[in-house]
Amino acid sequence: MRTDGELLAALRGGDQEAWEETFRRLYPSAFAAARHPLASLTPTEAEDIAIEALTLLLPKVKQVAEFDELRLLVITIASRKAISEKRRQLADKRGGGELTSLDALQDDENIRFEPAEQVAGRLNPTDLRDLSRLLDAALSGLEPRNAEILRDFLVHHLSYKELSDKYKMPVGSVGVSLARSLEKIRTQLKAAPKLWKELVSFLR
Amino acid sequence: MDADSFNDLALRVIAGEATDTDRQALEAELSANPAHREEYEQLKITHDVLCTTGPMAEAARATEPELPSYRINELRTAVRQHFGNQTAARKSPGGLISALRWLIAGGGATALVVLLVFLNLANRTVEIGLYKSDTVRNGDASLVPQDVPSARVVTFDQDAPFDQWQNQPLAWNERAKIWVDNEHDLLHVVRRIDHGHVSTETQPLAPTNEGQREQIRQVVESLQK
Repeated sequence: MRTDGELLAALRGGDQEAWEETFRRLYPSAFAAARHPLASLTPTEAEDIAIEALTLLLPKVKQVAEFDELRLLVITIASRKAISEKRRQLADKRGGGELTSLDALQDDENIRFEPAEQVAGRLNPTDLRDLSRLLDAALSGLEPRNAEILRDFLVHHLSYKELSDKYKMPVGSVGVSLARSLEKIRTQLKAAPKLWKELVSFLR
Repeated sequence: MDADSFNDLALRVIAGEATDTDRQALEAELSANPAHREEYEQLKITHDVLCTTGPMAEAARATEPELPSYRINELRTAVRQHFGNQTAARKSPGGLISALRWLIAGGGATALVVLLVFLNLANRTVEIGLYKSDTVRNGDASLVPQDVPSARVVTFDQDAPFDQWQNQPLAWNERAKIWVDNEHDLLHVVRRIDHGHVSTETQPLAPTNEGQREQIRQVVESLQK
């Protein structure tokens, strides 16, 4: 079994076996990123996006310093592509006249996808790593149940109703719990002002 | 309105969980209390950033599903194409050899032209790979050699030799190879484009046997132009 350093060196040399091992290791992350809840692509569509994202690592391998950066890179590529693909699909439907409320659909597209495309498109692997660590630290500072509710809301995009059913609590309490937890997370994220400022700038 | 109630209301609007009444209440609150507008903006930014990056951070921990075996060939091809070209570029001489190149440029260029003409003349074969079982489907042949007399139809009984054939680089005298991927309804075309470079393309497979025959005929014709 090769170390990550040996594997990265082999990848740079175009070693077919090393690439195959890398594709196998990174596919679960690429696929999970392609199934980003905002994009809500089908498994088949996500598989195509994941494979494309893996091939896009080939020209980037010489730019990364550590093997693990490839994982973060494939996640940013696959997420961005998945969200863009969803937006394109919706635009095609609108162009094809399949939906009646065109203004509503366009509003929906802008509200849902524009901020996400901005963030996913500009986030680099280092930002993502830093943000993951911050998020983990911030969630671990919450009551375990509140952290789980917030994780399901942010990561799996469960609705208030779904959260209410899953955690057996009134819908009204779900909102209060989420708002309080989110406020605590925001305070913690502000402890990394440089990263936070950068993330906010992506949305402007 | 206290801070908890405001945050709850604002988050409901941001998360798309609000009723018309909630939205009107929020508008009224923001108008009556401008300091809450900044709170609202901050909450929205936090929500938008985390809803995008949360799933991405989680993806780093994913351990399944496994890479589907039927997608490995296209990844192998991508690696071959990428590093094949780079290897060729690395082999370009530099420094002193670069200076010498000027001396032999005339002879080299002539040799290159001769080689290209030779390759162009020799580079005629188009192979079409199929599973034997695919040559007859639903009582109707999807493709038989007579459909494409200018190409060579190669049939396979098993996955391994078919995979091996797909992964083999084009032979010196081959112009292209084509294979039908019924599992994904795709037609794969590997063809020589110029100076030995090879491209791989896929296109959706026509839904009927007749459509597929016509599609393959057209691809073969376009490859032989």
